[in-house]
This record gives sequence, C-alpha cells and structure tokens, in this order.
Amino acid sequence: MDNLRFFEIYRSSEYLGLLFDGILISAGLTITAGLLGVVLALVLASVRYWQVPIVDRFAAAYVDFIRNTPLIVQLFFIAFGLPAAFGYTWPFWAHALLALTINFSGYFAEIFRSGFASIPVGQQEAAAALNLSKKTIFRHIVLPQTVVTMFPSLSSQFIFLFLTTGLISEIGVPDLTHAGVFIDSRTFRSFEVFITLTILYIVISLMLKSTLQIWFRSTIGKRVSD
Amino acid sequence: MPIVSMKAVQKWYGDYHALKDVDFSVEQGERVVICGPSGSGKSTLIRCINGLETCDAGSIVVNGIELTQRAGSVAKIRSVVGMVFQQFNLFPHLSALENCTLALTEELGLTQSQADEKAMQYLSRVRIADQAAKRPAQLSGGQQQRVAIARALCLEPELMLFDEPTSALDPEMISEVLETMVSLAEDGMSMICVTHELGFAREVAHRIIFMDEGALVEARDPIGFFERPENPRTKKFLSKILR
Ligand SMILES: Nc1ncnc2c1ncn2[C@@H]1O[C@H](COP(=O)(O)OP(=O)(O)OP(=O)(O)O)[C@@H](O)[C@H]1O
Ligand SMILES: [Mg+2]
Repeated sequence: MDNLRFFEIYRSSEYLGLLFDGILISAGLTITAGLLGVVLALVLASVRYWQVPIVDRFAAAYVDFIRNTPLIVQLFFIAFGLPAAFGYTWPFWAHALLALTINFSGYFAEIFRSGFASIPVGQQEAAAALNLSKKTIFRHIVLPQTVVTMFPSLSSQFIFLFLTTGLISEIGVPDLTHAGVFIDSRTFRSFEVFITLTILYIVISLMLKSTLQIWFRSTIGKRVSD
Repeated sequence: MPIVSMKAVQKWYGDYHALKDVDFSVEQGERVVICGPSGSGKSTLIRCINGLETCDAGSIVVNGIELTQRAGSVAKIRSVVGMVFQQFNLFPHLSALENCTLALTEELGLTQSQADEKAMQYLSRVRIADQAAKRPAQLSGGQQQRVAIARALCLEPELMLFDEPTSALDPEMISEVLETMVSLAEDGMSMICVTHELGFAREVAHRIIFMDEGALVEARDPIGFFERPENPRTKKFLSKILR
C-alpha cells in the first residue's frame, strides 16, 4: 500500500459530492421512513390491542409477513413487481421510502405489541377495580408506560434498520452504499472506499443514536427520571 | 339491607374447587376480617365481590346491585366498592396525586382542579399530602399503600376490600397502614379485610371469619374467636399463628 496515495481519490470533488449526497439520501430516507413507520406501527399494534374485528387479523398477518421476508425481496417487489403489474412509474426514492416504511413498521409494531402486553396484571386489576374504561387504561396507563419502557428497543431496532438500508442501492437509489460501489467501480480503490463507508455508517449510527437519546431524555424520559 | 350478600357461591379453577357453597353477608357499616391458611380461598372470595373473579354458581348482591354476567352490573358494583391490594398496584409512571385523580377526571368528569382538590383531601386523610408529587418508586411501601387507600377513597366507596394490605410491607411500616385502616373504621366505613394482623382484627372487627379449603369454617365476634374457638381447624390455625 502506497501511503502517499492513500485516500487520494477524495481529491476529486465529484466523489466527495457523491458521498455527501449519499449521506443525505441514506439518512433522510431512514429518518422519514422511521417516523412514518412508528406512526404506522402504533396503528397496527393498537388495532391488535383493541382486537378490532378482522382488521386485527390483517395487522397480525402483515407484521408476520414483513418480519419473515427479506428486505431485498420487499424492495424488489415494490420497486419492480407492483409497477410491472399495475403500470405506474415512481422515482426510485419513492419506492425506497415506501418499502422502508413498511419494513420498519413491521418491526416497530412488534415492539409496541409486546410493550402493550407487558403491563403487569396488578395494574390491570387496580384499573379494573377503579372502573377505568378501556380507553383510559390504554391512553393513560398502557401507552405512556410502553413508550418509556420500549424506547431503548425501538431505538436500537431503528439503528439496526438504518444499517440495512444500504440495500436500497440495489433498486438504483443513489444512497451512501450506492456512492461507495460507484466510486469503487471507477477507481478500484476498494480498501479506501469501503473503510470510508464503514466509518461514515458508524458516525451516522452514533449520531442518530445520540440524537434519539438526547431527545428522549429531554422530553419523555425527563418525567420518569427526576 | 346488607351491603354484601353472597348465597351458595361456587368457584372452580379448572378442577380445583376454590369456593365451596359460600354463604356470606356483611351489613352496612360492618367490619369483617377474614383469615385462614394460604390457599384457603380468601382472595378468591373478596375478588368475587367486585367481579375481579367470576363465580360459577350462586348469587352475589352488593349494595342492592345483583352481580350478573352483564358488564353493566360489574361497573355499578365497582363504583361503590374500593379495593386495596397486597402489592399496592399503583401506576408507576404517575405521581401519587395523579394516581388519585385519573379516575376522577377521565371517568367521573371532574375538572383537573376539582379532582386535585378532592385527591389532596384524601391524601391528607391518609397523612401523605406532602408526598403528592412523588411517583411510587420514590415512596416507601407503607406510603405507597396509603396512596393506594387514598386512591380508592377518592371514588367515595360504600365498601372497602383489603386483600392482605400489610403482607408485603417491612415490619416497621405495617403500623402506619393499620392506623389508616383503623381511622377509616372509626368513620364507619364498611370493610372486608383479609389479614393476619390479629391485633387489628381484635381492635376493629365486628366479626372474624375463618376460612379453610374454600369454605367458611367459623364466623365469630373477636372475643369469641380468640378466647373460645369452636372448630378444631380454627383452634389449630390459631395455635400456629399465636404460638
Ligand atoms: N387463577 C387461578 N387459577 C388456578 N388456581 C387458582 C387461581 N387463583 C387461585 N387459585 C387457587 O385457588 C386456591 C385459593 O386461592 P386464593 O388466592 O383465594 O387463596 P388465599 O386464601 O388468598 O391464599 P393466600 O393467603 O396465599 O393469599 C389456591 O389453591 C390457588 O392455588
Ligand atoms: Mg390471597
């Protein structure tokens, strides 16, 4: 390895620009899909908690389906399968956003479901003895405790899912992985390229993680810890 | 009219016969202590009264309301019956005050300030008003149990059920909870207490009931119960517990 030429490829502002755009696309899609996924997951888990007839079966099947199929297959299905069947065209990023949102929601929904189910029996009995309605129990007892206790699981699941988003490069989205693969194919400097990607993914993960933690501590967590 | 009237109540857990043909009634203002060995059905009995357990046969009437399969009757009964549990069962994410106000604002339609005022009144009643802002984890066991009592009192029940309210407490905290219960008794509250605190039973109970193997074995006034127990099983239980 010639140390003098190490990282020389990044003298090219074209490559730096690709990496920079890749970071924005990877982080932006992950965060957007994360937010939409959390909302969808709450709806899915709530439907199951409330045992809404028929819909709860669909929600359960949906979650099982998402969690038991590979993300890459979900991506291909949404980016190529559905458009081929129904004859529409969307930009790459829209396919990626839809697929990631659906994928995230399945994992988050399962976390919410287990949180909803883990309220101790004693609290449920106290609530029943106090004549609290199911709505009050859900809103004031089940939901707030689930958000607090499940936050660490949601957060680490989110980071894990972020690391799988590199797969969206396979449907042509110019994300961070896509940028790396492209630069590698041009320069053949595989070692520098992939160590760069590794470092960038680690840095983004840590930033997402600490942002979530700071947000949690200053909002929801504040009530619980003081 | 008795506040609780149970007739020929049967309860099965699968093959296990937990309540065997129980006839039991409690008058308005009466204080009944239930004792008996572990597994004798004491909890099952009082949990049937507010519908936390459903019985399999017999009739239960509470404050003139017949407990039936329909949800409406359970809610009506629960609105006049307060319950205190062995493990306190406070909502851990809510302050002592919020534990007390939740039902008032969400179910009874009080405004927040009305609810706060009422809750503070009952928290003072159990002498814990100064801890109102703390969450359960920041309180001692005895304090938590007093909050749980205040929470039940906020709904102004006609009858209070206590299921071993001091069994989970460290010895030095038992008396503060018992004192609270004695003061409730002095106000004329109808009470059914499952407890092995025999000093408390002697002091406040009108009647002590001994249960064994799902049946009411003996029901006596406290003096008769302690001085002249009739049933051999009661005698054996007392000799063990009094030593
Ligand atoms: N949910 C349940 N399913 C099956 N069996 C049960 C259930 N609840 C109670 N039992 C059984 O019924 C019997 C009576 O239980 P219960 O809790 O009423 O007793 P207890 O007198 O309150 O005892 P303890 O002093 O230990 O609280 C016990 O043998 C118990 O194992
Ligand atoms: Mg018991």
